[in-house]
Amino acid sequence: MSSVTVDYLPIFIQFCVAIGFVVFVMLVTHLIGPKRSSKVKDASFECGIEAKGNARTPFSVKYFLTAILFVLFDVEVIFMYPWAVNFKGFGWFGFVEMTLFLGLLLIGFLYIVKKGALEWEE
Amino acid sequence: MTEQYFSGLRIELFLTMLILALLVGKVLAIKQNPIGTLTLISVFLISSIGISFMQNESGYLFGTMFRTNSTILFEKAILLAGTFIVFMLGFEWMKKQKHFLEFCMLLLSTLLGMCFMISSGNFLMFFLGLELATIPLAALASFDLDEKKSSEAGMKLILSSAFASAILLFGISFIYGTTGSVSFDTIASAIDGNNVQKFGFICILTGFAFKISAVPFHFWTADVYEGAPVAITSYLSVVSKGAAIFVLMPVLYHAFGRMSSTYIPALILLSTVTIITGNLFALRQKSMKRFLAFSTVTQAGYLLLGITGNNTEAGASVVYFMLIYIFSNLGAFTVVSILQNRTGRDDIGVYKGLYKTNPTLSMVLLLALFSLAGIPPAAGFFGKLFLLSSAAGAGYYVAVIIASVNMVVSLYYYLNIVKMMFVDEPEITIEKLKPAVTEQISLFICCCGILVIGFIPAIYEYIYNLSAAI
Repeated sequence: MSSVTVDYLPIFIQFCVAIGFVVFVMLVTHLIGPKRSSKVKDASFECGIEAKGNARTPFSVKYFLTAILFVLFDVEVIFMYPWAVNFKGFGWFGFVEMTLFLGLLLIGFLYIVKKGALEWEE
Repeated sequence: MTEQYFSGLRIELFLTMLILALLVGKVLAIKQNPIGTLTLISVFLISSIGISFMQNESGYLFGTMFRTNSTILFEKAILLAGTFIVFMLGFEWMKKQKHFLEFCMLLLSTLLGMCFMISSGNFLMFFLGLELATIPLAALASFDLDEKKSSEAGMKLILSSAFASAILLFGISFIYGTTGSVSFDTIASAIDGNNVQKFGFICILTGFAFKISAVPFHFWTADVYEGAPVAITSYLSVVSKGAAIFVLMPVLYHAFGRMSSTYIPALILLSTVTIITGNLFALRQKSMKRFLAFSTVTQAGYLLLGITGNNTEAGASVVYFMLIYIFSNLGAFTVVSILQNRTGRDDIGVYKGLYKTNPTLSMVLLLALFSLAGIPPAAGFFGKLFLLSSAAGAGYYVAVIIASVNMVVSLYYYLNIVKMMFVDEPEITIEKLKPAVTEQISLFICCCGILVIGFIPAIYEYIYNLSAAI
């Protein structure tokens, strides 16, 4: 067995243990857990109320929009991190560059605010 | 040092400045009038074309990330010219849009992505450029908010290009795994053409084939072209495809130069299948946009055939053909756009008897279709001639014969439309249409391009010398 394979053996074992644990617990609860079902218990309900209508109704995409905007500003932080670590090394040049970058992003942010993408209630 | 960056990146900087200016204008809510915006964009685009011809030194920037030389700058000038014409031909539709500024910004950012893509000397840079060029295009394709077909087009475009990008990345990862680099230079010297690299290469070629809609990866083309607004359809068929073709050449010739025994058969197979299938599907289209979609699929086949020549002449002939193709295809699309804007229809029936009511438009469409079909007085003939002769020069006679036979087949459907316009009785009555000024500019540029380029041999020589100088 080559050394590379041996190196990864612990990961493989851990993987097997993780999967094995899930399978084991599911099997055990399934086999030895008590099974008592009644008509009332089997009825479908939601928050204690009987389910009504179709689940596939159109819903607001605001969460989606917020998630996308979050990704945008998340990426910005990824850029800032290495800059912050080497802050002294980059000096004023780096500072100006970063300010420029943040300024450009800020324009984008202003655009979002102006478009009303962050207004939750309409 | 700094000047080198400014001069190497000048077109990209220009485009970035333009996009920023539009964005700032939007944020500050400066009183916008579409004509003013269009003028600003035109000035920027035309001056970018101008500066792309000045002082062309070749070299690398940012390590091996960004490559520039006179051929690349000429290719960028072609794309800029194409975008300018697209703005002209689609302006009548654009100015009615509520989000006109956003439309311009998105369109220009795809152009910026394409510029970076053409200039890439590294697969990472290439991929970034590709994504910047693709994602806004999906938003643009679904820009017609009232049209259900438009959203469908956007969805199909984003899904199929995501799929293509995934396959492309998969291929790049194999190449990276076996050569230890993503830079074209290092790959070129480290590659030895073993089976893993062949597999990776085929994946990369698949990604490219998606972008230039070569058969069997063309399924998205017709639906997206039909649903998207005409401006975007023409942009997709010319500028977007051109960028992919331009970047395919250095990737093949340079990075995979040692694997020519692998890529030439693959290209020949792709191109013959593409030409035949594109032709057969174009024969039975009823919608003009779908018809032009399959026509561009066929043209992509000819371009691929030209690339198989594998030398400077092949490169020059592809660039030359793209230059002509921009004018011919955009000329046809301008007429389609005018008719669709005024009549709301794009089926072939609208064109019946068009000559009786609109002789000028018919003549332009005739010229554009002649050029696409490759009938001598139009420039398209010379473009196809050089493509086929570069493939024939490398000795791929069977493929060249298949392509030539298919050119004859394609005459049928191109001339069928010409016959409808000039011979048939009108199906619906169209009054005499008066193209807007922007559309007139687009028609004029396209006609000049089609008529003039073929008759000035200096243009081909110029392109050839640019390619040879590298």
